[in-house]
Amino acid sequence: MTERTYETAVARIEEIIRRLDSGEAGLRETLDLVKEGRDLVEYCAAELDAVSQGLEELRLEELVARLEGAGAREQ
Amino acid sequence: MEQPSGIAESGLANSQLPGPYPVGTYALRLRDRLREFARVQLSGEVWGFRRGRARVYFELRDAQGALPCSMWQNEFDRLGVQLTDGLRLVVGGGCDYYPGSSTSSPAFSFSVSELRVAGEGDLLVQLERLRKRLASDGLMEPQKRLARPPLPRTIGVVTGERGKARDDVIAGLRRRGWAGRLVWAFAPVQDRHAAPRIAAALRELAALEEIEVVIVARGGGSLADLFAFCDEALCRTVALLRVPVISSVGHHTDRTLIDDVAAVCCSTPTHAAEAAVPIDCRAARAELHRQAQRLAGHGRRAILDRARALSHLSRAPAEHVARHRRQLHQKLRELRASARRMCEQGRSRAGVHLLVLSRTAARASSSDHVRRRADLERWALALAAHDPERTLARGYALVEDRDGSPLASAADVRAAGEVTMRLHDGRVPAEVKE
Repeated sequence: MTERTYETAVARIEEIIRRLDSGEAGLRETLDLVKEGRDLVEYCAAELDAVSQGLEELRLEELVARLEGAGAREQ
Repeated sequence: MEQPSGIAESGLANSQLPGPYPVGTYALRLRDRLREFARVQLSGEVWGFRRGRARVYFELRDAQGALPCSMWQNEFDRLGVQLTDGLRLVVGGGCDYYPGSSTSSPAFSFSVSELRVAGEGDLLVQLERLRKRLASDGLMEPQKRLARPPLPRTIGVVTGERGKARDDVIAGLRRRGWAGRLVWAFAPVQDRHAAPRIAAALRELAALEEIEVVIVARGGGSLADLFAFCDEALCRTVALLRVPVISSVGHHTDRTLIDDVAAVCCSTPTHAAEAAVPIDCRAARAELHRQAQRLAGHGRRAILDRARALSHLSRAPAEHVARHRRQLHQKLRELRASARRMCEQGRSRAGVHLLVLSRTAARASSSDHVRRRADLERWALALAAHDPERTLARGYALVEDRDGSPLASAADVRAAGEVTMRLHDGRVPAEVKE
């Protein structure tokens, strides 16, 4: 199974909606597709939320220091 | 140098040097001395051509050094040539110096009075040679094969700390509605130290797992200003990085080597930022909301539509029976109406027949009836004539025995002994006495 990415998730949601819009899916398939679609929407929403928390600017050396600090705490 | 009159300043303590002289005086003397230099012809490549108010300016370069040049604009325009970076020139002229003033800066330049285009410059040829070498080493492709995340959480940016490119990158990201983490790696972007510093910044950014894409940005400038981005070592570094690099160096007319090896090359830092975040986050959120609603609608309808269909199916037999019942009732009503009509028609026909028959019968029986009535009257008259009562009424008497039987002879009367005489108004008993 390929790794889920925002791009693949969006493509799958569109595919699911096309299938549902066609009206050819039976009840069981429809419910399964709706459930899968909801999971994907939640995933995409989480990805969008992750880049909507407010622009954080920091210098490279600040990031390095922060990561090193975190590494030292873990040890 | 002569000491000008009216000098107020005293010199430096313990200095053996003459002066102090007013700087303007010194600058004018310097200009005069420079103008005394022999006028010569120089050859080199032109870089950074620009027009001032009265003069045109450019640099003449070769591998060993460079000289700022200027020329009167009207003299240059008379030549009818276009100067582009890297063009090889032969110029004639001499040194000059603009001494400046209290409100303007001084400037040295080689004042050109003659100019001839000699051909394409060596630097451009070298650049093209390097481009071919990088291509033959297969370094143009690796970056373009890297997958670019549609929604990176952390973006690295290599740019000058004070350049306008920094603001442009932020503006591009805001236009996308992106508000993740931005890591700045500032480096000089225009001198001989620039290329190694930029390469080092790129390596450091790529070493961090969090960084998903890197933008290298620099604002516009002459190709000479952008030459740091044609450095071979820098281009090889970029080509082999694990993260995709989006370059935006100079304007869209410029093409540096880093643009060739990068994953994506953009005309402005704003566009580079938009390329780093291919998705418009606001639009994507709105679209996601719409899709979620459509999914919910499908889920709801999947149940409700089928429930309605089942309900309809469950009602169908009852409706079928009811429909048939209605049809039967209708037929029954029609049957009754039809029967009524038939009876009335039969009755009407029977009445007609009865009338016809009675009239026929009447016609048939009337003559016989008269004849019979005449007979009866006649017979009545005959019978009345023979009625004994009428005889008794005329004074006759009828002799009857005890039983009431008439006695018609004297012998019978004698034999009876006791008889009854019947008159018209009653009976009288009598006894035979003989």
